[in-house]
Amino acid sequence: MRLAATLLVALLALASSAWAQDQAFTNRATELKEKGDAQSKTVASLAGNTAVKVLGRGGAYTQVEANGQKGWVRAFHLRFPAAIEKGESGGGLASLTSMFGGGREQKQATIGTTGIRGLSPEDLKNAAPDAAALAKAQSYRSDKPTAERFAREGKLADVKVDYQEGGRK
Amino acid sequence: MKRLVAAIALAFAAGPALAIDFGKIIDIGRQAVQQPSAKEFTQEDEIALGEAATASFLGASPLHKDASLQRYVNRVGKWVALHSDRTDLPWTFSVIDTETINAFALPGGSIIVSSGLLKRLASESELAGVLAHEIAHVVKKHQLKAIQSGMQADFWKNVGTSVAADRVKIGGGAVGSTVGNMAKPYILDAAGNLIKDGFFLRPLDRGLETEADQLAIVLATRAGYDPYGLVGALQMLAQFKGGGDAASIFSTHPSATDRIAELEKFVPTMESYTKQPQLLEARFKQNVK
Repeated sequence: MRLAATLLVALLALASSAWAQDQAFTNRATELKEKGDAQSKTVASLAGNTAVKVLGRGGAYTQVEANGQKGWVRAFHLRFPAAIEKGESGGGLASLTSMFGGGREQKQATIGTTGIRGLSPEDLKNAAPDAAALAKAQSYRSDKPTAERFAREGKLADVKVDYQEGGRK
Repeated sequence: MKRLVAAIALAFAAGPALAIDFGKIIDIGRQAVQQPSAKEFTQEDEIALGEAATASFLGASPLHKDASLQRYVNRVGKWVALHSDRTDLPWTFSVIDTETINAFALPGGSIIVSSGLLKRLASESELAGVLAHEIAHVVKKHQLKAIQSGMQADFWKNVGTSVAADRVKIGGGAVGSTVGNMAKPYILDAAGNLIKDGFFLRPLDRGLETEADQLAIVLATRAGYDPYGLVGALQMLAQFKGGGDAASIFSTHPSATDRIAELEKFVPTMESYTKQPQLLEARFKQNVK
């Protein structure tokens, strides 16, 4: 019985975490499109702050389900609320803040509950440099011909983009 | 800030005796502009500094054991880096085996990314966006410039003196290393002090993050990826309470949400350049399990 209750709690936690990761809101009034492009038919008008379920990220439009209707919304018209607690969804996030910054973050790192250690300034300070690991990491480097072949396999074609960067090159 | 304004106001109110010597400040500024190379690392020193720091990071957090994952991330990263202004660096992308969500850049072209972050990305275009952000920090020498400006005068007496005999081995001498993993002792000292000081773990200035985000979008677009990759990664990141405080992609200020808002003005301008932008979700899922 206790096992069943534990399992239920675990399942609920999992469900809420999954829900949280799919959950977004419109950040302004926007249109639900039939397909992921501006020219496609508008399926519905969505008010600002409409809750949507995200079905997939990628590109200028995000596939969502809003008010029971499936469609596409501009990616920038969605807001993703900070819904996932550190330590939720598989662990490790408790140590999310452990890597950086001053005292406050270090304190948080020490109360991590997942049992997976992050990389705190203290860890780094005490770590012995690992020359063998460095050599190993360098052995995985890609060279130019390999990267170019890899790009061709993925149909990644060079695109010429001028970058002005506020007038500077 | 208020205190600073008050102090300046007070200085002026007190009359000419306390007034700031603007002439002198301009002189100092002019000298700095005239002698830019006096206090700069050579590329060789920059690479050695990054390698020494990487060895420390890998001593603290182990390299992921999946060789094909490491090669995959290196191919994506190298392809993106080939579209930058620093194609000559020995670009090295290391996946560390930790659930912690993180990615950061070290000088000289060493990028570290956690397996916890990889698992939460949706496509190769998101990975390209994340790596491009880190590549942008290296290309723009954001950390290196901060290090250079923080070095004491006596440090610079050594820089640029390349005494071949006076070097220390730091790595295993892997094939392809441009410096052969041999560093000058003062570079190793500098790397050691920066590690102890926690320098590489501190967030960068907000303006530098914005600059890195924009250059990242350009680099990923040039490499043929969907320009929205970094935006998707930031949307994933926005969902974590606290946002994280990692040195690069996770800096608290600006928050992921602020960075997305900033990119809204910039990313759509890339759409006019793209031909067949790729997401490569399937290839990503084959390689990142």
